[in-house]
Amino acid sequence: MKILVIIPAYNEEKSIASVIRQVRQHVPEADILVVNDGSRDNTAAISREEGALVANLPFNLGIGGAMQTGYLYAYNKQYDVAVQVDGDGQHDPAYIRKILEPVFSGEADMVIGSRYVETTSYKSSLTRRTGMIFFSALVSLLTGKKIKDTTSGFRAVNKEIIEYFSRHYPSDYPEVDVLLKLHRKKFRVMELPVEMRRRSAGNSSITPFRSVYYMVKVSFSLLIESIRSTKAMK
Amino acid sequence: MINVYSISIVFSITFLITVIELVRKNRLQERYSLLWIIMSIIVLILSSTPKIINTLAEWLDIKNPPSLLFLFGLVYLLIYNLHLTAVISNQSEKITRLAQEIALLKQELDNANK
Repeated sequence: MKILVIIPAYNEEKSIASVIRQVRQHVPEADILVVNDGSRDNTAAISREEGALVANLPFNLGIGGAMQTGYLYAYNKQYDVAVQVDGDGQHDPAYIRKILEPVFSGEADMVIGSRYVETTSYKSSLTRRTGMIFFSALVSLLTGKKIKDTTSGFRAVNKEIIEYFSRHYPSDYPEVDVLLKLHRKKFRVMELPVEMRRRSAGNSSITPFRSVYYMVKVSFSLLIESIRSTKAMK
Repeated sequence: MINVYSISIVFSITFLITVIELVRKNRLQERYSLLWIIMSIIVLILSSTPKIINTLAEWLDIKNPPSLLFLFGLVYLLIYNLHLTAVISNQSEKITRLAQEIALLKQELDNANK
């Protein structure tokens, strides 16, 4: 089984080295690809020093475009499974094996590392919690499935989804959107509890100022996604 | 006599010349100029023969015929803008894919040179 760990990174020089080291420690057999999304700091150089594969985007594409670069790589190099881990250190690589397990066994096509399935020590702000509950409700309304942590970017996918993502991946705020796409393509999605940490460096891309836009944009994308023509999804 | 029709005539002729100039200098592609050219010719015809617009306005029960000219222009611009954003969407998708392919090609090169 060829495993690829995809780490999208935008100005993560403070945290990227430790993320790469922890991934290597917990999943030594996996290849690590850092997708440097047009960082202006030393993210690329540090990642290379740590021995990761590095794909440098010529300019910032945003998280969707960066993630898709990783999936395109995984597809070209015929990896069997891919795991996406944030470059800011909030996902604990110790859980990679746990979320890979159902993918290996064929129990699920995608597994989400979730902070809410069981009570974890993760504490988040009220606005964030409200947003999470809202999206969770919206997703379950549209798909009939319960997914608690719809925005988690800690995910493992199998070969079929790698192939699908290499062709179709939303450009901005992709996490929630993708769930609906996969549902419509009849992929099986599963959620497993993981502990999340506070990001070790950097700021969330979602500032309070943007959170309203985020809510509106994601809700709109979800509604569109649910009526998107199947021809455009092939 | 200066009225909305004469202004409209002068404007559409200037506009038409500008568009053709841009195409001639390769600063505007033919495919995107076509819709502009068609529009300026239509506006030119409508404003030089007020009869058409007057009759149309009467049919549509519009009190002030020149406002039909504005309505026409507005609707046209709206549609053309929508067309342009569709073009932009298509292009941004292509640019994204190009950036991704370039990143992966460079990665491949780096690997080969190691």
